[in-house]
Amino acid sequence: MSNFSVGFRSTGAVQVLALQGELDAHTASELEAAIQKCQDEQQYQIVINGENLQYISSAGLGVFMAYIEEVREQGGDIKIAALQPKVFNVFDLLGFPMLFDITETEDEALTKFENAAA
Amino acid sequence: MSPGMVAACMAIDLRAKLPKKGPFSSLGTRTKHIFLFVAFVVFYVLGIGYHLTIFSTQTPPSFGVALVYNLVILACYSTLWLLLSSQFKQRQAPPIRIFWTTLLFGIGLIGVALGIAQIGRVPGFDAAAGFDYETDVPLTLATVFKMNFLSLLEAAFFFIVLLRFRDLVLFKRTRSSQRNWYLMLGFILLAALMTFMKPPRQDEISFLQAITFVPAVAFMVINSFRLSWIVHLSFKEKMAVIGLSSLLLALLATSLGVGGDSLRPGVSLYLAYYSFPLSIFMMLSVIFGILYCITALLSLIFHLPTTSDFQRKTDEITAMHSLTHLVNQVFDPENLVSTITASPVEAGSADAAWLAVADPETGSLRPRIVATHNIAPALVAELIDTAAFYQEVLLSHEPLLLDQAPADHRVEARPGDGIGSLLVTPLVTRDEMLGALFVSREVAHSFEKDDIEAISVFAAQAALALDNARLFEEKVEKERLSRELAIAREVQSKLLPQHLPSYEGVSISASSVPAQEVGGDYYDFTELDDRRLAFIIADVSGKGTSAAFYMAEMQGVFHAVSHLAPDPLDFLTHANRALARSLEKNVFISVIYGVLDLEKEELLLARAGHCPAATINLNGEARYLRSQGLGLGLDRGPLFRKTLAVERIRLQPGDVLVLYTDGVVESRSPKGEEYGYDRLLDALAEHRHEDADDLHDALLADLNGFLGGTNQYDDDLTLVVIKWRGIELISAPSRRNGEQENAPSNVHPLE
Repeated sequence: MSNFSVGFRSTGAVQVLALQGELDAHTASELEAAIQKCQDEQQYQIVINGENLQYISSAGLGVFMAYIEEVREQGGDIKIAALQPKVFNVFDLLGFPMLFDITETEDEALTKFENAAA
Repeated sequence: MSPGMVAACMAIDLRAKLPKKGPFSSLGTRTKHIFLFVAFVVFYVLGIGYHLTIFSTQTPPSFGVALVYNLVILACYSTLWLLLSSQFKQRQAPPIRIFWTTLLFGIGLIGVALGIAQIGRVPGFDAAAGFDYETDVPLTLATVFKMNFLSLLEAAFFFIVLLRFRDLVLFKRTRSSQRNWYLMLGFILLAALMTFMKPPRQDEISFLQAITFVPAVAFMVINSFRLSWIVHLSFKEKMAVIGLSSLLLALLATSLGVGGDSLRPGVSLYLAYYSFPLSIFMMLSVIFGILYCITALLSLIFHLPTTSDFQRKTDEITAMHSLTHLVNQVFDPENLVSTITASPVEAGSADAAWLAVADPETGSLRPRIVATHNIAPALVAELIDTAAFYQEVLLSHEPLLLDQAPADHRVEARPGDGIGSLLVTPLVTRDEMLGALFVSREVAHSFEKDDIEAISVFAAQAALALDNARLFEEKVEKERLSRELAIAREVQSKLLPQHLPSYEGVSISASSVPAQEVGGDYYDFTELDDRRLAFIIADVSGKGTSAAFYMAEMQGVFHAVSHLAPDPLDFLTHANRALARSLEKNVFISVIYGVLDLEKEELLLARAGHCPAATINLNGEARYLRSQGLGLGLDRGPLFRKTLAVERIRLQPGDVLVLYTDGVVESRSPKGEEYGYDRLLDALAEHRHEDADDLHDALLADLNGFLGGTNQYDDDLTLVVIKWRGIELISAPSRRNGEQENAPSNVHPLE
């Protein structure tokens, strides 16, 4: 059974979801629930911190695809930060950098949100 | 009289009943019986001899001789007891049989005794005649023989009475009842032995003797109340036993009579002269027999009125139990529920019954009446609030009894509607309530504790049967689904190429294994024309049935669109649009699509998010073709086409192109390590000189070796190897092997 958890952190207007462990078909529902929670709380500015994310499968990637349209319609975004190289590679092969802001550090992502607001 | 003697005698008696151990028991039963019989005869004959000696000498015996004689008699009758005991041990006779066989024995033995008693009867003398007043010496030869035979007959009869009554007393064998029986025998024996070596005319009973009588009588009384066999008799049987026991009582009562006035003159007195202890034993036995007959008679008479009720109750319960077996044999759910509702009514335990089951279809716990017996479903719906009752027993998991059903607000019936008493029993198995059985009777207060018990037992069995039927259905369904999936697997395997294209100048090898019965991986080839071969490899995100459907769609798109728009950019753009409608938001497909131009000797290739193709040349220079491109389904707008790059590659002889899905590179070894991109390139480099088939197999072997040879894949796994041999094309018509008219004789490597 894969280990996975989502940590919530809030920096001003932006909700940071710190992912830990392996994101696959079994654990994808947890990330779904987390993003759903943000939506329920009208938090549409989300940064995914992948510093402790060890693995992601196509099911995990699907979660991002499932929510991004709605979040962007509400004027927000899901940005991805601090991915481990192997995990970044998975995003990169599929072309995710062309669809999402994938930054090296969390601060960069937060800055992007600020710039967008300005 | 020594205590040791007493102990020895009791030991003999007890050993007859306790499980035998030791050398004596190692002999066969028949041998034992023969041994006992011989011993008995020997002792008996010795006894006769002793009396004959006394008679002939007309002198009383010495103390020593008398002592020996008494011991011999005790031994003799102990063996007789053992013989008779083993005879009656085996047979567990019914009470009626016990009574009339005992009666018959009695009449027989006593009849013979009467006859013998008449022999040599001296008219005028009373029963004491025949023995000298002073010395107790027998005066006539007839006296000697009468004494010996009558004693034997009497002893035999009373032993039989005791043994037969034992079966009645121990009808229900428990530790305490057995103990009480043996104690009674023991104390009777003790009381009898108190008179050892005492002359028979002693009228005064010593204090010691009196003491031993008390416990004996106490236990006789205790055992007289062991009458559990009476309840099981039918009315007729009870009447018969009343008659028989009365007769037996009469017989026993008269045998107590001592003296010439009684029916059987002086028999008992002969016994007293023969052996005093023996006569005391017999007397106490007779008293017990009389006591038991009296208590049995009274009990029988008092039980007569309730016989029919008891019988009816037992019949009902038996019927319930037999129907319980029937319930377990029925598997078909419809049949089963109607059997369940019919059984209580047919057994006579209820007037009407219906079964309510929680309806799984509606999802809620709202019960549905699935079967009724002896009452119309419409009437049930009208009169009874089934749901309310169901709820109550659901919470308690206990039966619910309404002695006056119309009084309850959940029952709309009025007295006269046919619902007087109502019993609701839950069908519970594995802590889950499957349904509730409702049984009703016309009259109020008519369900007794026994009824509730019997119906509860039945309900438990019914619950098991329902559960089994359900599990059986589930199993059948599971097997059906399993078969369906197996069929799906076969159908999907037909979507993959059944034959790989064979071209001069190209060798191809490919395989695909789904992780489950069906999967989301796809590869295929199609001939665009006689010089161009289009190929594709695709991986639908996820696995299982949903991925398999998209894979099938991809296959359709490939075969249709590749001919119309063979250029990689065009094909993939069309494919992206075609699939956009059916792909769910979180589903995407990674694809590599390429065209092999055999005339131009070049390869056109585009990578839409898929694992980069590996390529290697003869020199061993290997690299991954990682061109830019989004996976299908990630963007349904112009961005897809804008960001998709196409690679054009010149083909050299010996070039190898390897297409694969992430199942290859992401497979983990037992240690948790991924196979990875580097190992793939290494293996490719190692085997690059081999033909496509061998190369393909070698790559798989390397992967399997890394995985520890388990051959268990977590993800769908696909591997395609395309090798460019670079053989010069000689003639235009058919480029295929087998149809070649002019086979090339040598290879021309092109620069």
